[in-house]
Amino acid sequence: MSERRPYRRAQAPDWWARKPYLAYTIRELSGVGVALYGLVLLVGLIALRHGPESFAAYRAMLATPLSLLLHLVLLAAMLWHVVTWFQTMPKTMPKLIVGGVQVPQQRMMRIGWAVAAACSVLLLVCLVHVGGRP
Amino acid sequence: MSDTMERSKTIALRVLRYRPASDTEPVFETYQVPYSDDMSVLQALQSIKDLQDGTLSFRWSCRMAICGSCGMMINGEPKLACNTFVRDLGPAATIEPLQNFPIERDLVVTVGDFVRKIESIYPYIVPKVPRSIEEGAYLQTPAQMAAYESFSDCINCMLCYAACPQFGANPDFIGPGAMALLQRYNGDSRDGGQQMRMDQIAGEDGVWSCTAVGICSEVCPKQVDPANAVNQNKSKSALDFFLRLLPGGSGS
Repeated sequence: MSERRPYRRAQAPDWWARKPYLAYTIRELSGVGVALYGLVLLVGLIALRHGPESFAAYRAMLATPLSLLLHLVLLAAMLWHVVTWFQTMPKTMPKLIVGGVQVPQQRMMRIGWAVAAACSVLLLVCLVHVGGRP
Repeated sequence: MSDTMERSKTIALRVLRYRPASDTEPVFETYQVPYSDDMSVLQALQSIKDLQDGTLSFRWSCRMAICGSCGMMINGEPKLACNTFVRDLGPAATIEPLQNFPIERDLVVTVGDFVRKIESIYPYIVPKVPRSIEEGAYLQTPAQMAAYESFSDCINCMLCYAACPQFGANPDFIGPGAMALLQRYNGDSRDGGQQMRMDQIAGEDGVWSCTAVGICSEVCPKQVDPANAVNQNKSKSALDFFLRLLPGGSGS
């Protein structure tokens, strides 16, 4: 009796919506948020090139409640993208050996987050300092 | 105290059964298994086989998370049955064969495809500079060893493959386990076989099938971090691609 009839179970079509893969799906979607925000800024640049009226219209568009809501969502996506980007970073590089000992991935992550936070604060301070007028 | 020795509690184990000679598709069967606090899922399955149903099939050997034979889905998570306590599962649990693999029988899955992948990556050191016995041993510093050490801890249990949705979508994807073994040799300072292994990295079903889901590393019972092995080879593959574009760079 050696009847071989291997049975292949189908992959669930909604695997990406289930635990533990949902976190991955959200991480990847946050990248879409980053791209969308890039698009918003690009539209601003194009408006600026078209002249003052065009740029004023762009700024008025930014001040609408719908736009503010969108920016809140995009900010959340951006922040989550930064967090998960540095979580993934140590996985994409060769093991970092310093003085014969491997640098823990947790430490690389924390340094990454700290640098990102420092850069953001610095940028914010510069923005307020240079263009501080309301 | 008595709980550690006496089988005073009972768990309902829902086990996926598949008998190729009689079943058209897998079906769940539930067993009431008395257990003690020190019992592993593997021991629970053994007690089913000994006392309730001798036809239940599953792989096992070492009972201590070394051989990598008893990987299965426990409540939907890939785990080693010997490394999982029944007491942590609650009053009921579901046991299925490893996800993403064809089922041979009950909890036994087909491993031939995985073994072929392991064989395909030249799983041995190809000496950079061959040495004669008179010249002595190949030397390595602790730092050089640290560069690949975690990858040498793989026990081929295939839990990472069961956790990988990209392997589930494309069974030809080389997968996390084989890439961990590949990196164990590629990352070895004594090894000179990196170019031989490039086809397995950069090919159609190589590392680029990976989308850095990362669950493979989370389910690994030996902290091998196969996601790191796969993803650091994306950089290597990209570098190789651009180096080939340089004059004299083709076919190196």
